[in-house]
Amino acid sequence: MIFDAANAHTFLDALRFIGDNPGFLATKALEQLELSGAAIGLALAVALPLGIVLGHFHRGSGIAIGASIVGRALPSIFLIAAFLTVLGLGFENNMVALAVLGTGPVLTNTYLALDGVDRDAVEAARGMGLSGLQTLSRIELPLALPLIFAGLRISAVTVVATAPIAAYAGGGGLGDVIANQASYRLSGVLGASICVMALSAGVWAALLAFQEALTPRGIRAVRVHAATSNGKEIL
Amino acid sequence: MIRKHTRRAAKAAFAISLGVAIVLGGFAGAARSATHKAPTIVIGSKNFPEEDILGQLYTQALEAKGFTVSYKSEIGATEIIQTALTSGKINFYPEYTGVIVQDVFHHTSSPKTATATYALAKSLEAAKGFTLLKATPFYDTDVLAVTNATAKKYGLKTISDLRKVGAFKLGGFPECQTRNTCFVGYTKQYGLSKASFLSVGSVSPYAALDAGTVLAADVFSTDPPLSPPSKYTVLTDPKHITGFQNVAPIVSTKVARASGPTFTTTVNAVSAKLTLPAILAMNKAVEVDKQSAAAVAKTFLKANGLG
Amino acid sequence: MSAGAGPVIPNFGQGSSCVTGDHFFCWGWVKQHWGDTLGPALVQHMELTGIAVGIGFVLAAGLALLAHRLRRIEQPISVLSALVYTFPSFALFQLLVPFTGLTYTTTEIALVSYTLVILFPNISAGLDAVPAEVMEAGRGMGLTRRQLLARVEVPLALPAIIGGLRIAVVSTIAIATIAATIEPKGLGYPIFYAIALPTPFKTEIYSAGALTVALALACDAALVLLRRAVTPWSRARS
Repeated sequence: MIFDAANAHTFLDALRFIGDNPGFLATKALEQLELSGAAIGLALAVALPLGIVLGHFHRGSGIAIGASIVGRALPSIFLIAAFLTVLGLGFENNMVALAVLGTGPVLTNTYLALDGVDRDAVEAARGMGLSGLQTLSRIELPLALPLIFAGLRISAVTVVATAPIAAYAGGGGLGDVIANQASYRLSGVLGASICVMALSAGVWAALLAFQEALTPRGIRAVRVHAATSNGKEIL
Repeated sequence: MIRKHTRRAAKAAFAISLGVAIVLGGFAGAARSATHKAPTIVIGSKNFPEEDILGQLYTQALEAKGFTVSYKSEIGATEIIQTALTSGKINFYPEYTGVIVQDVFHHTSSPKTATATYALAKSLEAAKGFTLLKATPFYDTDVLAVTNATAKKYGLKTISDLRKVGAFKLGGFPECQTRNTCFVGYTKQYGLSKASFLSVGSVSPYAALDAGTVLAADVFSTDPPLSPPSKYTVLTDPKHITGFQNVAPIVSTKVARASGPTFTTTVNAVSAKLTLPAILAMNKAVEVDKQSAAAVAKTFLKANGLG
Repeated sequence: MSAGAGPVIPNFGQGSSCVTGDHFFCWGWVKQHWGDTLGPALVQHMELTGIAVGIGFVLAAGLALLAHRLRRIEQPISVLSALVYTFPSFALFQLLVPFTGLTYTTTEIALVSYTLVILFPNISAGLDAVPAEVMEAGRGMGLTRRQLLARVEVPLALPAIIGGLRIAVVSTIAIATIAATIEPKGLGYPIFYAIALPTPFKTEIYSAGALTVALALACDAALVLLRRAVTPWSRARS
């Protein structure tokens, strides 16, 4: 019988595991956030400027959209292994691998956001004498913010939810528990997985709140819908 | 009129022949199964090359003698293997004798000799319904290694010398963290209170040593990188906490009995040929020359008349 | 049986200098081991993902059609789908092990789950996006519910459905590499194997990874062609 009495209690056991090991799990969660944060930062540093430039000049749609497709096609373990061969085993190889995974949503959404800004608004700004750079910073970026943020949120959740796999390459974090069922048993694996979910959801909520705080009041009324059908990524 | 009779006769003849064939075949099958009713041997192995080689060797040797073998490689840590054995998912597993005593049965110290370790392991397993077949001549213990540069820098010769280093990271596979034959043993028995454990996951601890991610790493004595000339220094373990680690196949007693004497003699014949030079050569072929474990096992068995 | 005779240690063949010298990429090794390592892994990988996408699609389509009829269940299923994105992908494999063991079943259940979660929202959205006027026109022409579905809704939903399939196929091919943590099958196995060696084996990692990506992109391209073939009226870019 697959679902015997012991397994039925698994969810409760998992919660008990969390309750019994708060300090340990908190340390692991922090390790994971550190790795994820660094990876997201790196992804932003590369993808944000590139997406803005490409979108503003309406060029390179192939690269911007292709980045998401290729990003989705890259297995996380392959990236970790490939960078392991180049950077050796440590924080950096996992960080760069996760950053590559996080680049797609940011690049694609940023490009689409800038590319899709209402042309009339841009025209009007130019007509009023604003330079290209001024148009970008005062008109285009504020209008593009919602979609850019959507990309950032998707990227962040993808990275945080994928980071556990770095445990297979010494990356630490909650993955150390999930990958080690031998020592932590099912309750530990499930408990740690629940923690990862909470972490991801927390990151999503935090970024949403951050976005709300940044969005100029006038723009909040006009919501640009996040491109969900090709923005949803997992891995 | 004649043709109809002929057709009917032909049909009848065919039906009778078919019936006879089925009956005869049934008898033959019953006869065959009565003499060769050996159960399927399900061999498990862990996820590192030496274990894979062992798994391949036993699998191919048994198949050559007509046994039905299913090889489940890459199962993972000892603890998972144990669950698989007790639940019957696998019924054959080449385990290290010291690991049986200290990690499976949680004895905090190891017997004083290899033979004593084997004997103790055998009796412990027998109580659980498992037979321990003959042990291999070679042994493969955990050892603590550092890079030559590190050894020189801190003057490290033996494990207790690591106390000179202060706080440092000790790398190893995940299950090492809670084992008496590994991290727990190293830190408790040698007073390495400032050491912290880094799980290298699935990556070789040598990669962690090379990158400087860890100062010392728990590796295996038969690893190719340790054979001279080596880039690494093995720290001596005078208290012998890593125990004696010859390999001996754990087999479910029921399956061993049902498989008959040929099973036991075949397995023991393979084990007898596994000397240290033999396993070192095979490890090198797989890990350095990047041959497949299956091919290496096949070559070895053929050369020794077992394949 | 010669008592006490040591074993014969045959020559296993020296690895090429490319391999032992840890060079960046060794074509020789790839050619030599295609038959015993990379080739079988590729076939297993296609099998794994083919089954997962096949079953996932059937389940997702069924659920989507159901949700289309009973609007009530659409919301909870969507919420569930969103939650799965926050779940660490390889954890699902590990969590199934105590129930279904280290078997093909475990791998497939995990892969089907992820495929399902990607396909359901896309098929649902596609069906929902059919304009009301078109539905009215169809009803006006006297089409039954089932005919409406078959002749109007599904064809119009095809771009979204194929769009969802593209994402699902590509993602599943990538995530199927995790199957190697359960069984030594698929293109993930050479990668996990190669990083466990004392010096990570570059050639095996790069070739297995490249094959996975190539497979994914090839399937993606094939689906784009499929979409163009079945929806000649649609010039929409996914």
